[in-house]
Amino acid sequence: MLQIEIDHLNKHYGGFHALKDVNISIKQGSFVALVGPSGCGKSTLLRTLAGLEKTSSGDVRIAGRSVIGKPPRERDVAMVFQSYALYPHMDVEHNMNYSMRLKRRPKEEISERTRTAAETLGLGNLLDRLPKALSGGQRQRVAMGRAIVRNPKVFLFDEPLSNLDAALRVHMRSEIRKLHERLNATSVYVTHDQVEAMTMADHVVVMRAGVVEQQGSPLDLYDRPANRFVAGFIGSPAMNFLPATVTDNGALVLDNDSTQIGLNRDIAAGCQFWIGMRPEHLSLKPCVNDMAIDATVTGIESTGSMTFVVLEVASQPVVLAHSGRPVTRRGDHVRLHISLDNLHLFDRETELAA
Amino acid sequence: MQGIIRTIRDGSGFDILLLGLALLYLIIFSAFPIVYNIIMSLQTVDMFTLTSFNRPFVGLQNYYDIFSQPVAGTIFWNTVKFVFLSIVFQLSIGFGLALFFQQDFPGASYLRGLFLAGWIMPALVVGAIWKWLFAGDFGVINYALTSLGIADDRIFWLSDPNVALYAVIIANIWLGIPFNMILLSVGLASIPRDVYEAAELDGAGAFERFRSITLPLMRAQLGAVISLGVIFTLQQFDLIAALTQGGPADSSNVAQYWSWQFSFQTYEISLGSAVSVLMIIFVIVVAAVYVRSTRHEHSY
Repeated sequence: MLQIEIDHLNKHYGGFHALKDVNISIKQGSFVALVGPSGCGKSTLLRTLAGLEKTSSGDVRIAGRSVIGKPPRERDVAMVFQSYALYPHMDVEHNMNYSMRLKRRPKEEISERTRTAAETLGLGNLLDRLPKALSGGQRQRVAMGRAIVRNPKVFLFDEPLSNLDAALRVHMRSEIRKLHERLNATSVYVTHDQVEAMTMADHVVVMRAGVVEQQGSPLDLYDRPANRFVAGFIGSPAMNFLPATVTDNGALVLDNDSTQIGLNRDIAAGCQFWIGMRPEHLSLKPCVNDMAIDATVTGIESTGSMTFVVLEVASQPVVLAHSGRPVTRRGDHVRLHISLDNLHLFDRETELAA
Repeated sequence: MQGIIRTIRDGSGFDILLLGLALLYLIIFSAFPIVYNIIMSLQTVDMFTLTSFNRPFVGLQNYYDIFSQPVAGTIFWNTVKFVFLSIVFQLSIGFGLALFFQQDFPGASYLRGLFLAGWIMPALVVGAIWKWLFAGDFGVINYALTSLGIADDRIFWLSDPNVALYAVIIANIWLGIPFNMILLSVGLASIPRDVYEAAELDGAGAFERFRSITLPLMRAQLGAVISLGVIFTLQQFDLIAALTQGGPADSSNVAQYWSWQFSFQTYEISLGSAVSVLMIIFVIVVAAVYVRSTRHEHSY
C-alpha cells in the first residue's frame, strides 16, 4: 500500500524554483532517505510533506488523501528537527506529551503512553529534566520520543543526527532503524550524508538543485548510477572519473594519454565520456578481465583495516581502495589494474550513464 | 611610585582602579543622595536649616504628617491608577504590536523602527503636543469624538477633575508603548522558529501556540518590561508638569509630583523626602522582582 505519493510537485520561492517536478511514491512501512548536497531541496521537500511549506503546484497524498492546503496538525505526521526544537520551558515528560495534552486525552492514557515511549528510548529517569539539563544525545531522544508518542502515519526526520558526535551518530543510526521496524512506521529521512542514507534506508532519493536525480534501493544506486552526479555522490571514497574519447576505429582512449580501454560496446566515433571507476574495483594486482595502466603513487591513507592509495593516472588523481596494510610507498611506479566488468561510462555532455 | 604604576598597568591594580572608580561613582551619586534623603525624611528641614546638617530629629513624624494630609488618599489612589493602567495598556498594546511586527510582511522592520520616534522625544515635548490634542476648545481629540458622534459634548480633558488623571495616563501610555514593543520584539525574535513549527506539528493552533509557547518563553522579558515600566512610570514627571501640574485640585496628582511640590514649591523638604523614601521602598520591591525574573531566561 502506498503511504505517501508525491505527484509532479513544484515549489517556487519568488523567482527561485526550489522543487522541480518531483515524483516519489513511498510504500507503507518503508524507510526513505532524501539525500543530496546542501541547497538541493531535500529539506524543503520534507517541510512540504509536513505542511510547513506551501506547494506551488502538484499533489501530495498521505494515506490516499490529498493534503494540499491542509495545516500540519491535520496531516498526522511527526517530525524530528535538526535542532530538536524541544520546548525549552517544559520538562522531558511535558515535551513528549504536549500533543496528547492538546488533544485532551485522558490522564491515564497520557502518562501510560509517555512512560512507554520514555522507556523505549531509555529516558525513564530523565522525565523531570528540562532540555537544557540534557546532553545532545538525550535531547535527540526526547525529540524522537515526542514523535513516537503520537503514533503518527509518517515520521519525518530532518538531519536528526548531524549535531551528534561521530560515535553517537553511528549508534543512533541503528537505533532509529530498529525503532522504525518496531513501530512499523513509514519514515522519510533527510540527510546530506550518503553513508547514513545507504545504511538506513530501503529507498534512497538523490536530489540536486530541486530535481530528483535518481531513486531506488541503496545498492541499485551504487551499482547502476543514472548519471555522473549520482555516481560521484554515492559511495565513499567517491568514484574516480577519467575523461576519454572514442577514436575513429571505435576504441575508447584516455585523454592526455594514449591508453586504450578495451570495451566491447558499439559507440560512435568522436563521442566523449567520463569513465567511472569505483576505488574498490581498482587493484595493484592482476584480476579477472582487467587491463593495466602505468600509475604513480602520490599518497597513501591507511585506516588500519583499509588502505586508500592516491595515484596519478594520465595526469588525473585516482583513488584505489584495498583491504589490509599499505603495500606501496609514495613515489612508487605501479601497474594499475582496472576491472573492466565494473566500469561505468557517462556521456560528457549530458552526464547520463551510457 | 614606579611600583604603583606597574601594578596599575600590569597587575591587579588595574582591576582595583576600575572597581574603585565604579564604586566611587555609586557612592557619590547613588548611595549618598539616597542615605541623605532618608536622613532628611527623619528630620525637620525647612529653608532655614537647609544648609546645616545638624537639624532636629523628629523620627517618623514626617511620615505621620504625610498620611494625615487630606489629599494623601487621593494621591495614593491616583498613583496606583496611574501605574496600573499605564502598565496594563502599554504592555498589552506594546505586546500586540510586537507580535504584529513579528509577522513577515514588507516593510515590517522599517515600520517598527518608526515607532521609536515617539520614544526618543523628550516627555516635555510629548506633553506639549498632547496638551494641544487634549485642548477642550480646539483639540483634535474632541473634534474627532464629537464629529464621529462618540461624545455628545466637548470633554475638558485637562481641566475636568474627573478625567484629568486619565488624560495624563493616555499620554503616558502612548509614550511607553515603543519601549514595550521594542523590548518584547527582541524577546519574540529570540524564540526559535522551529519550536513553533514543532508545536504546529504537535497539533497546536495559533492561540494555543501563543498560550503554551510564546507566553512562557517570554516570561523573563515580560517580567523585565513590567518592572522597568513600573519604575519609569513612577519616574514620570515631565509629562505631568507639561499637562496638568497635578491639577485641577490634585485630581491628577501622583506621588512623584507631590514629592516635588513639597520639596521645591512649598519647601517642606522633609515631607518631600518622606514621600520619595516611600517610593524608593516600593521601587526596591519591584527591582527585586525584576532581578528574579531575569533568572528565568531560557537558553535554546
